Amino acid sequence: MKKVKINISGIHCASCATNVERSIKQLKGIKSVSVSVMTNKAIIECEDSLANEDLKNAISKGGYNVKGLEVV
Amino acid sequence: MQMPEREDGANSEINILKRRLILSWIFATVIILLMFYERIFGAMLNEKLMTVLFLVLSFPIVFIFGLDTIKSGIKGLVTLYFNMDSLIALGTLTAYITGFFSLFFEIQDYSSVSAMIMAFFITGRYIESVARGKASQEMRKLLELGAKNARVVRNNKEIEIPIEELKVGDIFIVKPGEKISTDGKVVKGISFVDESMISGESMPIEKKVNSLVIGATLNQDGVLYVKATKIGSDTFLAHVISLVEEAQGSKIPIQKAADRVTSVFVPVIIALAVLTFSNWLYFSKDISISIAAAVAVLVIACPCALGLATPTALMVGSGMGAQRGILIRKGEAIQTMKNIKIIAFDKTGTITKGVPEVTDIYSEVVESKLLQIAASLEKFSEHPVAKAIVKRAGNIDYLSASDFKVFRGRGVKGKIRGSEVVIGNRLFMKENKISTVKIEGILNGYESEGKTTMIVALAKKIMGVIAIADTLKEDSIEIIKKLNDMKYKVVMISGDNETTANAIAKKVGITQVVANVLPEEKSKKIEELQRIGMTAYVGDGINDAPAIKQANVGIAIGTGSDIAIESGDIVLVNGSLTGVLKAINLSKATFGKIKQNLFLAFIYNACAIPLAAFGFFHPAIAEAAMALSSVSVVANANLLRRAKI
Repeated sequence: MKKVKINISGIHCASCATNVERSIKQLKGIKSVSVSVMTNKAIIECEDSLANEDLKNAISKGGYNVKGLEVV
Repeated sequence: MQMPEREDGANSEINILKRRLILSWIFATVIILLMFYERIFGAMLNEKLMTVLFLVLSFPIVFIFGLDTIKSGIKGLVTLYFNMDSLIALGTLTAYITGFFSLFFEIQDYSSVSAMIMAFFITGRYIESVARGKASQEMRKLLELGAKNARVVRNNKEIEIPIEELKVGDIFIVKPGEKISTDGKVVKGISFVDESMISGESMPIEKKVNSLVIGATLNQDGVLYVKATKIGSDTFLAHVISLVEEAQGSKIPIQKAADRVTSVFVPVIIALAVLTFSNWLYFSKDISISIAAAVAVLVIACPCALGLATPTALMVGSGMGAQRGILIRKGEAIQTMKNIKIIAFDKTGTITKGVPEVTDIYSEVVESKLLQIAASLEKFSEHPVAKAIVKRAGNIDYLSASDFKVFRGRGVKGKIRGSEVVIGNRLFMKENKISTVKIEGILNGYESEGKTTMIVALAKKIMGVIAIADTLKEDSIEIIKKLNDMKYKVVMISGDNETTANAIAKKVGITQVVANVLPEEKSKKIEELQRIGMTAYVGDGINDAPAIKQANVGIAIGTGSDIAIESGDIVLVNGSLTGVLKAINLSKATFGKIKQNLFLAFIYNACAIPLAAFGFFHPAIAEAAMALSSVSVVANANLLRRAKI
């Protein structure tokens, strides 16, 4: 299990935050995900086997940009 | 750290919105003037030309200043990742297109309305961004708190270097009035340091050699030479920031309901708009009225108010906490707090200072003489009890002692000016053939109060008794009383024997005591309490981490940088119990604000959408109402600052 923080741009409303959550949740191995419209950050708990690239792709697929990724 | 960059990002977003807002309203004003002119003086131009003029004037507002919104909205519609913009894009585009159609068919031209909708939308977003910026002001202050420079000696010269160049082990100098560059240990100098920005503790704290200092706190009157122990992302401040930030991103259970609504909100509204349109068309046979009602439904609906209700209040609340040394690690704790019935406290280090102090002295000679002899011997010992005695003796002239020896669990022995000095418990006296019969009454008296007694004997003759106990923190009595008044069931859990535990409990006003609890059993005791009611546990977080975890709300309490910051749902940086009360008040106030906000947002949508569907709102007014609702939610969150914490 790992914890990943992702800085995202383009989240300007609450629906955007739920959209990002939705696209991340579709990945396999996600335990929890929380995206805040206030901090523009996603905090994800997921299996170690899940590649960070997959997380990034899921976010950009929904039309949002990844500005930074940090494994805590 | 990446945060300052984000702040710039937020600022530049506000500036962009501001520019768009001004430009939009320049065009919108022209449109409004034209509309009024037409109303009052009749058509100044022929109707078709007028429409063309509106289409031209509206174009920049909708398609240049509102381009981001239109683009993101359409993208949402295409990918089925609907968002707020989808509604606005649908609404404005529908209205705009009527302008073209009106050139060829019998239909009302709503192109000017599309411009008004977008202008109001941009205005709303601008005000909301400013308000959101305000909501995070405490967080921003925290981010700006760190020192930028460090003063070091290089080649025998004092120079200032950027903080990034400072390494662990470097010695830096802090002059009076300067910020301490990073976490470290004082190697030279003495001074008072204001740690209020980190702990909320208003009294400056004395720092001398070997004291630990926290980066970003303010040195007051002396010069300190500090050896850097932690830098960059390892510092206490950096930990606090990342912790608060994480909490702000965490979900509160109550928000999940709101999220469920937001996630289906947009498609539902689009369906409602279609329904509105077809109903109006069926009953009124007037396509223009039908379009107006449908557009009003699209733009009046406000998922944002719902979605912003929780995070904005959480942002303000956790920021307020951070300023007062209350770190909310898990947003959930805010909601759980209101259901807490029982508050269990660890004794040592939580209710008490955790450091033994001399409380009473019985002396057969002059008291200072007794202390002088005792301290002259005890200064060789590292035992906390010995330290307490030395501390109480203060600045005295030590007598030269020899043959010092420690007897574990008994006491110490040595020679002062040729006479034998024995300090210790009853057992030790007996072993040294010193009778304690004469002072039994005094010993029993102290012991019934839970105090440890040290008997001092000089040349086989008892000189006196020093009583030592862990003392209460200054505010313990007051806070426990307040918690009792608030109808909480207050419980003390302690590893001490019943006498000691009860003595402290009685002093502090706690009636329920669980004594003789081994550290590993504490979580089990919490479990038992939880059968009676939701339980919060306050402990130091170091040896009672499992108990903190077990409790419904775990509160870790500590002093300055020693704190176990990674444990607990709430962390109190300042060691005093006042923080517990403040944390309760803050949680309740924040949760109350969240509920208020969600209520506002639900009620707004529940009233506004039907009214729009029944055609009570002009689309432009509908958009203004929408903007107002999301702004008012954020503004209301900012009002949390007025709460008494």
